[in-house]
Amino acid sequence: MTSSAASVSHRSSAPPLAPERPVAWPKRTRRVLANGLEVVLAEARTFPRISANLYFRSGNAVTAHRTPGLADMTATVVRTGTTWRPSRQIEEDLRRMGAGLGTHAGADSSSIAASGLAEASTGILELIADLARNASFPEEEFERERRQRFEELRIERTTPGFLAGERLRRVLFGRHPYAIVAPTEDQVAAYTRNELVEFYRHHYVPGDSLLIVVGDFAADAMLDKIEKIFGDWKAPQPELPMSPEPPKQAGRRVHLVQMPGNVQTQVVVGNLAITRRDPDWYRLLLANSIYGGAFHSRLVMNIREQKGYTYSPRSGANPLRQHGYFSVSAAVRNEVVAATLTEIFYEMDRMRSIPVPAEELDSARNYLTGVFSLGVATQEGLLGQLSTVYLDQLPEGYLESYRERIRALSAEDVLEAARRHFDSANAQIVVVGDREQIIDQAALFGPVTEYDASGNIVPARPLDVMQA
Amino acid sequence: MNSSPGKSASTHTSPKSASHLHIPVEHTTLANGLRVVVSPDHSAPVVTVGVYYQIGFRLEPRGRSGFAHLFEHMMFQGSENAGKMEHIRLINSSGGLLNGTTNYDITNYFESVPSNALERILWLEADRMRALKVDDENLRNQRDVVKEEVRVNVMNQPYGGFPWLDLPPVAFRNWPNAHNFYGDFADLDAATLADVQQFFHTYYAPNNAVLLMVGDLDPSEAFSFAKRYFEDIPPGAPTPRADITEPPQTEERHGKVEERLGPLPAIAIGYTLPPRESEDWFAMGIVDRILHGGRAGRVHRKLVLEEQIAVEASGGADLIETNGPTQMVTQIVHKPEFTSEGTVAIFDEIIEELQQQGVAPEELEPVKVKFRSDFYSMLETGMGSHMPRFGLMHYLACFTLFDGDPHRINTILDGFLAVTPERAQAAARKYLVPQNRAVLIRRPVNLPTPANPHVGNGGAR
Repeated sequence: MTSSAASVSHRSSAPPLAPERPVAWPKRTRRVLANGLEVVLAEARTFPRISANLYFRSGNAVTAHRTPGLADMTATVVRTGTTWRPSRQIEEDLRRMGAGLGTHAGADSSSIAASGLAEASTGILELIADLARNASFPEEEFERERRQRFEELRIERTTPGFLAGERLRRVLFGRHPYAIVAPTEDQVAAYTRNELVEFYRHHYVPGDSLLIVVGDFAADAMLDKIEKIFGDWKAPQPELPMSPEPPKQAGRRVHLVQMPGNVQTQVVVGNLAITRRDPDWYRLLLANSIYGGAFHSRLVMNIREQKGYTYSPRSGANPLRQHGYFSVSAAVRNEVVAATLTEIFYEMDRMRSIPVPAEELDSARNYLTGVFSLGVATQEGLLGQLSTVYLDQLPEGYLESYRERIRALSAEDVLEAARRHFDSANAQIVVVGDREQIIDQAALFGPVTEYDASGNIVPARPLDVMQA
Repeated sequence: MNSSPGKSASTHTSPKSASHLHIPVEHTTLANGLRVVVSPDHSAPVVTVGVYYQIGFRLEPRGRSGFAHLFEHMMFQGSENAGKMEHIRLINSSGGLLNGTTNYDITNYFESVPSNALERILWLEADRMRALKVDDENLRNQRDVVKEEVRVNVMNQPYGGFPWLDLPPVAFRNWPNAHNFYGDFADLDAATLADVQQFFHTYYAPNNAVLLMVGDLDPSEAFSFAKRYFEDIPPGAPTPRADITEPPQTEERHGKVEERLGPLPAIAIGYTLPPRESEDWFAMGIVDRILHGGRAGRVHRKLVLEEQIAVEASGGADLIETNGPTQMVTQIVHKPEFTSEGTVAIFDEIIEELQQQGVAPEELEPVKVKFRSDFYSMLETGMGSHMPRFGLMHYLACFTLFDGDPHRINTILDGFLAVTPERAQAAARKYLVPQNRAVLIRRPVNLPTPANPHVGNGGAR
């Protein structure tokens, strides 16, 4: 810096960006072991820690038709005991290694994820392997977790955001397993220990799994370690069932979930879209960030910063493995439900009909590429990005080419993506709140079906006959 | 004042400590009193920048509940050269993310950006430190937004505001510590534009703030930018500080709150902590982890795993981030067939055991290992995966504003790791006592009957 520059005091316009500094991609190693386990390592020596996630490409969707939520319950009980370690020892071993553990299942995958001190990396990987291979499903731990699940389900059924998301998935996916995001209490009551053990035996297997380790280590030594710990693990790859297609929607419909007395309405609008493997994916990401995916997006400007209807409006492209969907959400005061829906559709239609101005396009491209760089700058973030690439089996250069691909997109691309994937005319509308305050407003947007918080359809009744 | 801050800024090499942490930290103070702290790290081409003002909801004016937070929203509504939304647009379009939060003793504004946007970010932060340019329309708009924030986070959410809004009014007697931090709607409605400008001039002066820059930067260039954009902002009068001292507590305090949505009873138990960075404060940091450290912690193990009374039992203490009366808080959500009184009685057994039998080294050492690991993790992230080094910046800010010494980042761990079993036990005996605690019960309006057939027999079929 020259001293003369310092004499130019506060300027009236923002300084330009300096030349971009290159992203130094972390050293990455990929290896498939003889038993089929795919191993991806990335060195990130920011802090003396490692994060290791073991993924199986089987989740709740696999058993949704016969036993909803089984993968979830299996993952929960996996951490409660192995042939070698009772529950309490697992937790104490973790603490001794400065480690945290999460075992989870989503629609498409199950995971055993641990992170802790780099100096304990052998022990952390051994614990992950023990859980993946030797979980013992103690009967009493299973019953305790089953009861926990009941109580969690009851709390979820009083949470507006959960109820809105659940209903949207039901409506968009119909008979496809993605329709079901949580089991009923009766379904949880019917789980047997044997079902958990069977799911574990078929799906926690190396032939279908992916181990990603990020952190402070040398890849060669880490690979040797992994070979020793996981190399003799053998089990065949599971067969995954075929799923029926989600329904085609014809016209907007309204789905109202009743929560009497609520002081705010949760609004969600959505339609089926695409997965990350679709060639349109980058275009959709860019269109979404202009529409409602960033703080400086049109929807946030409109219904938050201009109109003050809501605190946290947002839109998102939600990619699952077989299908994706686009959704828009906002929690708004009860008086402005119709006004909010009007603006949500206005902004969708504007994206679908008028090309994005050059400056806005440029901003959005910079936003996505910059945020991408932020997202790979921590161990946790890098692990998240790598898991996306490898779990979804995206092309090897996905991360490295992402920013160039975003930069190459035009206003025409955005228009095209909005036309294809913001299905304004057939979007499904979910509102969760106090029926008497919102039904007249919601009914302006399409035929209404009403549900209670348990998901049962409430028979239609004249608006003037109010239930006590 | 340094004419060349980069050179004359103090540099620091941490002594070899138990934690072996060695984070480079440089700092200086500009002529107007603004403190500037930088920590270079070139592992990725990104920087995280923050401006922390020493004003939080605890320090807001009496009768103006929620004002500090409402004001935080106003800081995004326009400044001298960056009109409404211009601030956000410029950061997003530079590839960055931003936010602000209001806390007990500080309000922060921060952004993570690719490192080529550093100068632009500093220009933006300086512009709004220099002059806020907002009107009645902006205030009305943000008042509406804040009300929806309160509805979505508190009023329309099961266990919303539990226990962070519920417990302070029970635990404390002095208004700054004990009022509704999100604000009563009537108080929010009463706020005027004149209040906004006055608050700005009182608390948002450079001499009441610290600027932090961590990540891919050259310290001398960073100091030079800071000087260029911030140094001619005029300092304010010395900042008034509310008296936040608490009168001595002589007996256990109790409170009850209604839960409108959630089906299960919840309990919060808070113990007031000893003064910041005292010997006992470090000891209580370790006691907190003995009790609350995840599933291996005593509280979760007893209440959730062994007795199976609770579905959730966790807790913690805001140690580094607060600078006044604060509590270690345990939160419990329990099954409806147990009474809240009975649940507290079991919790008390956990406390008594710690007081009477202390903690064995075989338990204490792993607690410290986890403490260290969690500290590293906080420094690296701390605010989701897209705000690199947020936690490092956050702690540097607290050490600068509260202790006058950002270098404490490299030594603070030593204080926790030096706690012995004897000191932990002594602290438990001294602080985990009824006359130092508050118990809050949040009781559902619709408590389900325990006779549910799935539940009575443990859900077996």
